[in-house]
Amino acid sequence: MSLRLRELWFLVPALLLGLLGLAAGASARADELQAGPWQTGVGVAMVFIVMHAVLRLRAPLSDPYLVPLMAALTGIGLAMLYRIDPGLAGDQAIWVTLGGIVFCAVIVFMPDHRVLERYRYVIGLTAVLLLVATMVFGTEVNGSRLWIEIGGGQRVQPGELAKVLMVIFLAGYLREKREVLAIPTQRKLGLNLPAFRHLAPILVFWGAALAAVVVLTDFGTALLFFGVFLAMLYLATGRALYVGLGLGLFAAGSLFIWAAVPRIGVRIQSWLSPFDDVQGTGYQMVQSLYALADGGVLGPGFGRALLVTEGGTPRIPALETDFIFSAVSNDLGYVGAIGVMLLYVLLMARGFAIATAARDGFSKLLAGGLTAVVGLQAFIIIGGVVRLVPLTGVTLPFMSYGGSSVVVNFGIAALLLVISNRSRQGLVEAVRGVPAT
Amino acid sequence: MNKSIRMLYLTLAAGFGLLVLMLGYWQVIAAGGLDERADNPYKLEQQRLVDRGRIISADKKVLAESVAYREKGKKYYRRYYPQGSLASQVVGYATPEQGATGLEQFYNRYLAGSYGTGAILDRLRQETKDGADIRLTLDTRVQRTAEALLSGRKGAVVAIEPSTGKVLAVASSPTFDLNQVTTDFASIRKESDAPLLNRATGGLYPPGSTFKVVTTLAALGTGKWSPGSTFDDKGVYVVDGRPIYNSGRAKYGLHNLTDALTFSINTTFARIGDQMGGRKLGREMNRFGFARPVEIDLPAGEVAVSGRYRNGKILPNEQRDSDSARIAIGQENLQVTPLQMAMVAGAVANGGRMMRPYLVRRVITKDGVVVKQQRPDEVDSVSSAYIASEVGRMMQSVVSEGTGTEAGLAGLSVAGKTGTAETGDPNRNQAWFIGYAPARNPKVAVAVVIEDTSGTGGTQAAPVAGEVMRTALSIGPVPGEPTT
Repeated sequence: MSLRLRELWFLVPALLLGLLGLAAGASARADELQAGPWQTGVGVAMVFIVMHAVLRLRAPLSDPYLVPLMAALTGIGLAMLYRIDPGLAGDQAIWVTLGGIVFCAVIVFMPDHRVLERYRYVIGLTAVLLLVATMVFGTEVNGSRLWIEIGGGQRVQPGELAKVLMVIFLAGYLREKREVLAIPTQRKLGLNLPAFRHLAPILVFWGAALAAVVVLTDFGTALLFFGVFLAMLYLATGRALYVGLGLGLFAAGSLFIWAAVPRIGVRIQSWLSPFDDVQGTGYQMVQSLYALADGGVLGPGFGRALLVTEGGTPRIPALETDFIFSAVSNDLGYVGAIGVMLLYVLLMARGFAIATAARDGFSKLLAGGLTAVVGLQAFIIIGGVVRLVPLTGVTLPFMSYGGSSVVVNFGIAALLLVISNRSRQGLVEAVRGVPAT
Repeated sequence: MNKSIRMLYLTLAAGFGLLVLMLGYWQVIAAGGLDERADNPYKLEQQRLVDRGRIISADKKVLAESVAYREKGKKYYRRYYPQGSLASQVVGYATPEQGATGLEQFYNRYLAGSYGTGAILDRLRQETKDGADIRLTLDTRVQRTAEALLSGRKGAVVAIEPSTGKVLAVASSPTFDLNQVTTDFASIRKESDAPLLNRATGGLYPPGSTFKVVTTLAALGTGKWSPGSTFDDKGVYVVDGRPIYNSGRAKYGLHNLTDALTFSINTTFARIGDQMGGRKLGREMNRFGFARPVEIDLPAGEVAVSGRYRNGKILPNEQRDSDSARIAIGQENLQVTPLQMAMVAGAVANGGRMMRPYLVRRVITKDGVVVKQQRPDEVDSVSSAYIASEVGRMMQSVVSEGTGTEAGLAGLSVAGKTGTAETGDPNRNQAWFIGYAPARNPKVAVAVVIEDTSGTGGTQAAPVAGEVMRTALSIGPVPGEPTT
């Protein structure tokens, strides 16, 4: 079976899952069997079919499992959004279409991702500019300054794009510096450390991440940036010491900020003991925990939990974005939620497999970094929902409502597939005796 | 680099493993506890889909029921309280917005049908049972009499059957209309006299002279005193340099212990308390259940602990340094609930055996299957039957010729004790009466408290107690299992 046929075999059931989810949500809403917004569902399915077709033509050797996994997550997310508010699903379908266009554009116009390495500093600078622009021109929503208003009442989250640009930059930068970072040249405080000038970027990054917490007032984004940075540093050098050191520094900085910034302090407090103030600071968390408890083992099914009041307001604030996983856990129960988490683990497995199969350092770092972004982001927000880590305002990749997030994640998937296609193509050519390009 | 990639993958996958465990904690292990929390709107919202059980009084009046209605093709149930404000604090409410209180909260599991071993399986199948009815010991006739007598005043009445602990009435005034909770909760909450508070179980009042019943039982229990023990009252008894006077600065001269209770002579009880000492008196209070939450089928938050308070905290009964002379006459920061004092009166009536009070005598499904049957249960023996009967005779004398004559019932012997706790403001006395009837074969024990009155326990509380007891005796035996 060819790779693309395999992809199609997995894609069809994944798309059917989304369509069935939409129909189930609609049926629960009307209390009779209904097809639901099948036009929306079929439209989104078509986007994935087109993506599949583009891969057939332009990246035939790319990984066959990534797109079906995306489709399953997007489909469940769409069905969840529909059951929260049908209008949200309509919007999300448009974002998915946009994401599909970006996906295809990346596949078509960037057959070789290695051009990115050449522009790593420009890309890195762009990432910084995007973040600075957000700090300066940003609008505060729900207490976090992550959005920039564009025309027509729409908002974009530049941080989402900056995240990818940063991974590209780091892949290039670390490929260049990995040797000097990996070899310790001095011994201080009982630790083998490389020269200070090579270590300096880590410290700068640490400072920047903490500054981002204060300025963007968003712990999640900072944690994500720093976490991905550490992950890539580890990939590049293979030294767990950096990760430990980095996490220690971040924890120390966070403790300081906890004490210094009242808003963050409140967040931590409501994480540690949400039941102290059920109607106030702990409200969102407690309502979410009630939703999880209500879902139980099997859950009542798509659209059947009581997530939304009769008036149509979600019981949990930010249900469609930060708390979409609570909706999944409530409707589909523990079993369904484990299923969704497994999809993310499989997605990571494919991403890291692509990284492993890649044939040069830059590609490995890029694929590993991109996968780490998606995996870590899912971990941070799900961890917040289940109270493993403090709650933060990052989106659940492919599932949360929001254009920036959807488009960027589709872009990430496209990049991974380009890398995958490239490495297998190289392999095929090497076997045939053609020099790799 | 592939080794690092593998390690990173394993680390992140392990992280997701932690998420799975943590989620399992919330969805499976902690779920039951979270579901039962009073402020969980999901559980209550789910209950809109449940045909919740009825709350039915001993005289078969429906106090709460679920009414079906259709909305968007779905069948929902809403709560309706046919008796409006009757026993509102005890019945309680259950709404998605305001949470649940009273019996609606305490018996939620049964009313909502999520009881028994099947409940876990139902949880897995996402099915709900029909709720079961709860049948009360409370009788609306006694309850209605008590509320009518309290109306326009602040106060509480508790009436129990001494031999079983069955609660016949729990009135707390002012009240509120339970049906108004869903329509206009804000205005109920805004009222200054706290109608939501169940004064009978959750209101704390200084017991005043009603506490002398406890002191008397304790005194006779020591063997040092008897009803005929004589005392000489000079109108004042001094402890630690601070004088204790009789009410109205009266002087009684030579008298015995029965006279002391009949006329509520402070100096004599102060003397007894002083001689008995704080530890001995404290041990006696332990037997009466002071400083310990009363076990009754109401939410813990709605039942206050009776005993000595300091800075809002309950103190242990046995304290070496306590002023036992003042405790003996119901002072020294003693704060008690009407429920607790009704239990004291009930214990005297029941030959010294204090019964655990209960409101629900049985839980029964709509098909008539009895799910739970409450049997009378003894809390503790507070005195021997002989001593209890002696104290009972002394309390009869209080009603026949002492401060409690207003509680007297024609043709019946009533035993009782008045109390008037003064606050310094002559218009803000807390008037008490505790007692039982008929004295020979007690069927009902009561505690009455009237807040902020210029009158005394004898003039304000005793007549209320008399009327309530008359009604309780006129309704005949309480249905249910035969009393033993």
